[in-house]
Amino acid sequence: MPDSTAAPYRITLRFEDGVEKEITVEPREFVLDAALRQGVPLVHQCRSGSCSTCIAQVVDSAVETAPNRATSLIAAEISEGKRLLCSSYALRDGAVRLAYPSTLIYEGEAKILSAIVSGIEWPTASVAKLTLELEGACSFRAGQYVRIKVPGTGEWRSYSMASLPRDLAKLEFLVRIIDGGLMSEYLRSRCKPGERIDVEGPMGAFVLRESRAQHIFVAGGTGLAPILSMLDTIRRRSGARPKMLLSFGCASEQNFFYRDEVELRGWWMPQLRVILSADRVDDPASSLIRGTPVDALGDERVDDPETVAYLCGPPPMIEAARRRLVALGVKPGSIYAERFVAS
Amino acid sequence: MDTRDKMASGKSAASRQYAPYLEADWGFKNAWYPALFSDELKENEVKGVTMAGHEIALRRAKGKVHALQDRCAHRGVRMSLKPTCLTDDTITCWYHGFTYGLADGVLKTIVASPDDPLIGKVRIRIYPVEERAGIIFVFVGDADYEPVPPLTSDLPINITDDANAVPHILDEQVYVRGIHRTGDSNWRLAVENGFDPGHLLIHWDNVIVAATDRRMGLGARPISEDAIRVIDEPNGPKGMMNMYNTRGYKFFMENTVIGMKARGKKPYYARTSVFLPGLLLVEHWPIPGWAQYEWYVPTDDKHHEYWEVLVGRCRNEEERREAEYLYDHFLEPLGLRDFNNNDLFAREAMQPFYEKHDGWNAETLCAFDDATIVWRKVAARFNRGIQEPPHAGGAR
Repeated sequence: MPDSTAAPYRITLRFEDGVEKEITVEPREFVLDAALRQGVPLVHQCRSGSCSTCIAQVVDSAVETAPNRATSLIAAEISEGKRLLCSSYALRDGAVRLAYPSTLIYEGEAKILSAIVSGIEWPTASVAKLTLELEGACSFRAGQYVRIKVPGTGEWRSYSMASLPRDLAKLEFLVRIIDGGLMSEYLRSRCKPGERIDVEGPMGAFVLRESRAQHIFVAGGTGLAPILSMLDTIRRRSGARPKMLLSFGCASEQNFFYRDEVELRGWWMPQLRVILSADRVDDPASSLIRGTPVDALGDERVDDPETVAYLCGPPPMIEAARRRLVALGVKPGSIYAERFVAS
Repeated sequence: MDTRDKMASGKSAASRQYAPYLEADWGFKNAWYPALFSDELKENEVKGVTMAGHEIALRRAKGKVHALQDRCAHRGVRMSLKPTCLTDDTITCWYHGFTYGLADGVLKTIVASPDDPLIGKVRIRIYPVEERAGIIFVFVGDADYEPVPPLTSDLPINITDDANAVPHILDEQVYVRGIHRTGDSNWRLAVENGFDPGHLLIHWDNVIVAATDRRMGLGARPISEDAIRVIDEPNGPKGMMNMYNTRGYKFFMENTVIGMKARGKKPYYARTSVFLPGLLLVEHWPIPGWAQYEWYVPTDDKHHEYWEVLVGRCRNEEERREAEYLYDHFLEPLGLRDFNNNDLFAREAMQPFYEKHDGWNAETLCAFDDATIVWRKVAARFNRGIQEPPHAGGAR
């Protein structure tokens, strides 16, 4: 790895909407830190290489992951030239491309707001639907997430909105329940409507783009949440709806949830085809496809070269989906992903 | 949970199926709606209409009808309030003289500021127009909706299962006449009244029924899958038909509880169907061989424009004169006015409940309301978008 102790380098940040901003990156300074220092609030969250929020496409190898820094990037992303700006140094003058418009970082900057729990429902034993009523003004884009402070602890957890910006101040989340999880314990044993809860957001660059091309959505488990928000946004936005495919899967048929909600979207939008799957299917008469939502894609034909894909679920699903979609003919640059790691 | 709560939760599961329909207070967008009869817009005339919250100016120039946003870019006044047309290919705002091209809506000049830098840069919206069968249709909705579907996809289907099929409004050799008037109710209440198999009581004593000695039942109830046919033509009309010609519907000729019997001796056949974005076809009404078309064009969330149009066959001048005589002295006064006044009355009577008392959730539907539910589901599926209110940016 080249040494980066030389003079500061100039890195151009190229946003999706064509806007460019140049920043200076000092030796041994992370690119994200440099941007924030110079007043460019790039989308980011964990600053430790794990959440992948600050992912960028490196142009001409000007930016490289810092030595001894582990990131959550998958092999396919690394070979495509993607790096995490929170964990990368500049090696020479050059540029990175950000897969979101410059406007995203100026509208709706993250802030801490107070909210009231207005409902908790259990679509299945391992998934909670949490509904909050925000007390302050806020806006977000379909696909984004907020951090929620687990009441009674100092810990924050991230959840994507399943609801629509137009339904604010209501926020809806799907929370995967895991044994020993702080939020899980709270929801299972202490959460009551009327309770106050802190929310920070909105965050994330996993947002629905303007495109009339075919859309493919792949969702695993509670990764369905931001995808629902995107589908409902498409239903209500201006212009003709694109052709869409949603492949949604859960770990088991027993814990399959939101089947009605997903099928309703297919009823409301004749342009949307829905494929449902579960890894474990015990009932031989089940209409669910056996396997992951990526397996369920099968040999789906992708005729439109401008097809865009949105993936949300656990990292192995994202990686498999990305590989499959590229093999089916989707351009790597048209695949947007959000990883869900239960904690 | 008591019975009442159980009923309420069952209702909410059903209404979830057609949730988008309940969102459509201002109507469905990206659809063809009738704006004016052709003879209501003379050469060089400008008239303003409001459809689904869109304020639209219609102008006829050199015979061709143009539809433009009826709101000057400058200070937002409706240009149709005081029509000013200075050339054949423009429309001018009466206030400061902003003058827009009819073909593209681009600002061509400003009477009071001929060298203004805005000229050529500012534009107002133009809407697609089709003038067919003596009606000016406008495609109302998003400026970026592409491609604009054909007018035929927002009209009834051609009837093919009837040896004496009624004519289609776009057929050659048809006589088309009608009226339109304002209804003080949400457009959906109007649609749902139109095809309602259970609403014959309001027509029980109508002049046209008594005078023609028609045997009209007290009501009809679906009893099999044959009762309702969902219409889903590829790239064509979407809607549903009450199949009164099958055994799917049971007609009630008598109610023994209150001792009421259907009057009339002459059996009579008519059939209703309803299509997106919200229009009705009644075959063989008001008399055999004729078709009644009704549109319930949303004006805003509390008013609709009620269009009643009759379509009859007419192959030559003599038949045209006969059709005209029949229309003027029978079909309009006894059908469109006397008979349909009762429908308008019923819709307007429903409005306060649906507007002020959560009617969409509090209504109690009964056995013959299957048709209503099927229509709501079909409408929820096949609409091309929910019209946003103008104050939410819906009519830009």
